[in-house]
Amino acid sequence: MADETLVGADGRRTDAGVPVRDSNRSPSPVTAGAHGPGGPREPVFEVADVAFGYAGRPVLDGVDLTIRAGETVALVGTNGCGKSTLLRLLAGLLSPDRGAIELQGRPLRRLSRREIARRVAVLHQSLPPVPGLTVRQLVRQSAYPHRGPFGMLVQGESAEIDAALDAAGVTGLADRVLDTLSGGERQRVRVALAIAQRTPVLLLDEPTAHLDVRHQLEVLTLVRRLRAERDLTVVYVLHELDHAARFTDRIVALADGRVAADGPPTDVITPDLLARVFGVSGRVVHDDLHGTPRCLLDEPL
Amino acid sequence: MRRRVRGPVVAAALAAAAALCALANVLAYGDIPAGVVADVLAGERSGQQAQIMWTLRFPQAATALLVGAALGVAGLVLQLVLRNPLAAPELTGVNPGAVLGLLLALVLGLTDAASAAGALTAALVGGLAGGALTWLLAREHDSAQLVVYGLLCSALLTGLTTMLLAYQPSRFGNALRWLVGSVEGRTWDHLAVAGPWIAVALGCVWLGSAALGVLGAGDDHAAALGLPAARARGVALAGAVALAAGAVALAGAVAFVGLVVPHLARAAAGSDPRFGVPAAAALGAAAVTGADALAQLGSRWLAAEVDGQRLGLPTGVVTAVLGAAALVLVVRRGGRGAAMERTAT
Repeated sequence: MADETLVGADGRRTDAGVPVRDSNRSPSPVTAGAHGPGGPREPVFEVADVAFGYAGRPVLDGVDLTIRAGETVALVGTNGCGKSTLLRLLAGLLSPDRGAIELQGRPLRRLSRREIARRVAVLHQSLPPVPGLTVRQLVRQSAYPHRGPFGMLVQGESAEIDAALDAAGVTGLADRVLDTLSGGERQRVRVALAIAQRTPVLLLDEPTAHLDVRHQLEVLTLVRRLRAERDLTVVYVLHELDHAARFTDRIVALADGRVAADGPPTDVITPDLLARVFGVSGRVVHDDLHGTPRCLLDEPL
Repeated sequence: MRRRVRGPVVAAALAAAAALCALANVLAYGDIPAGVVADVLAGERSGQQAQIMWTLRFPQAATALLVGAALGVAGLVLQLVLRNPLAAPELTGVNPGAVLGLLLALVLGLTDAASAAGALTAALVGGLAGGALTWLLAREHDSAQLVVYGLLCSALLTGLTTMLLAYQPSRFGNALRWLVGSVEGRTWDHLAVAGPWIAVALGCVWLGSAALGVLGAGDDHAAALGLPAARARGVALAGAVALAAGAVALAGAVAFVGLVVPHLARAAAGSDPRFGVPAAAALGAAAVTGADALAQLGSRWLAAEVDGQRLGLPTGVVTAVLGAAALVLVVRRGGRGAAMERTAT
């Protein structure tokens, strides 16, 4: 059972990936982040020279990336640049053809699927329809990585489920059938599922896809709040650069299977990046209210 | 709290319904009154009537219960892991494969119809082969196409079975019982082999029912929660084939139970397989025992009104007729639901 004990996000030993909750140290959006009071925090993901291809077509070729505890990172790039593939590699859902990925200092390929799922929660783009499945039933499945197929046969602790539903603001939907929910409600339910999984790391693959602007902001704000409350490490795949600039503290742009740019939004988002990575001409202005860069896109190059 | 008790209560009610159907099955012959049956069950009566009960009626009812439970659960597992409401043992090549395997083994002299172990093995191999054929053809495609390939495989296997029957009709005096499905004439000897097989498979499926629920919400979802989807689906499909083949070895290809019962089970017990699996087992058991009781009543009525000779309607005729009607209702209701969903989005 030794491998079930992790080093927590702040370096203390924690049980099975539950982030340490310490009222004296509750991180705020301002103080939390990869650079705590004691300098840079320990790496969560270490990606070294990773290559991956689908059926001979290379997608990623030589990606190096370190993501530290407490960071919020956006992976951006054009369609097919491999950002979702990289996210799936980080989640252990794909294995790299070359190179290595370490999760909290341990090689990802040495961890079982359940061991990974106790450390990393993933929000995929969509959930297939399941007739009759209720919100509570879905969120209850978050216990699977902790309790396994046989432990799930008996009804588990529902207080955790209730807390997760509450944190994601979907308590009122608990007994609704999933198929009857709107896109925005469904996305919040899936955030509740990820939260109930009690992992220190959250990976989100285009969580705002197919949502209207209001629901996009709702989901991003919700994740930002939960990130701060629970000291999560968050990796997004995002299409919208303005969202990436506003809701993350680091942007990693992928092009030609490699990391083309990596750094804080103000450094990374430049007209040069728009041209080089996205193939569009554009201007970058400063948003005084949020203190973030904003893109005004002009023409495809 | 209401939701928490609903599943077990429904499962218990369905189990009671299955027991009632089994009783009706025993009484449907009309030659032995209920009071006598009660006495026989209590062990207070011996003689010819008791012997008929113990050697014919009870094993037949037990067979119907087991076959129904196996088909209902096999259908539920297939529909869950293939995420297709039309997946069923008879539409994925499993049942037709099992029938072909059984008849092929008979014609090649590998086993004879009286050997329960031989019949089970032959049905199992055939069912696995039929299911594997569908899987090989359809694995690269989505689940809607899987049903198309399943239908094609089933048609192919049924065609081969028919060729076999046309080639050597004399070898299969009662081939109809395998093609249509019938529990008539099954004895404790048959049950002694197929019974434990089905019971163990049912137990294993229930033990995996929580994992089935996770798998049912999608491969990506399951993998993200720590369940390797491909491996889990392989295990679940093997369980479904084991159940369906056990049912075919006992009673032939009883139609529509594996297709319709899972829908009824979901409607009654919800989408959580922890309750859905027992509900499908109980409903399937009730469906086959009830259908066989109706088949007996129908046979008696036909004998009395139309033809003086005794004739036995196969169980599968009743499940096919009633099952088709029930499926029409399910499809029409499902179609309305899907249409409403489309207008909502």
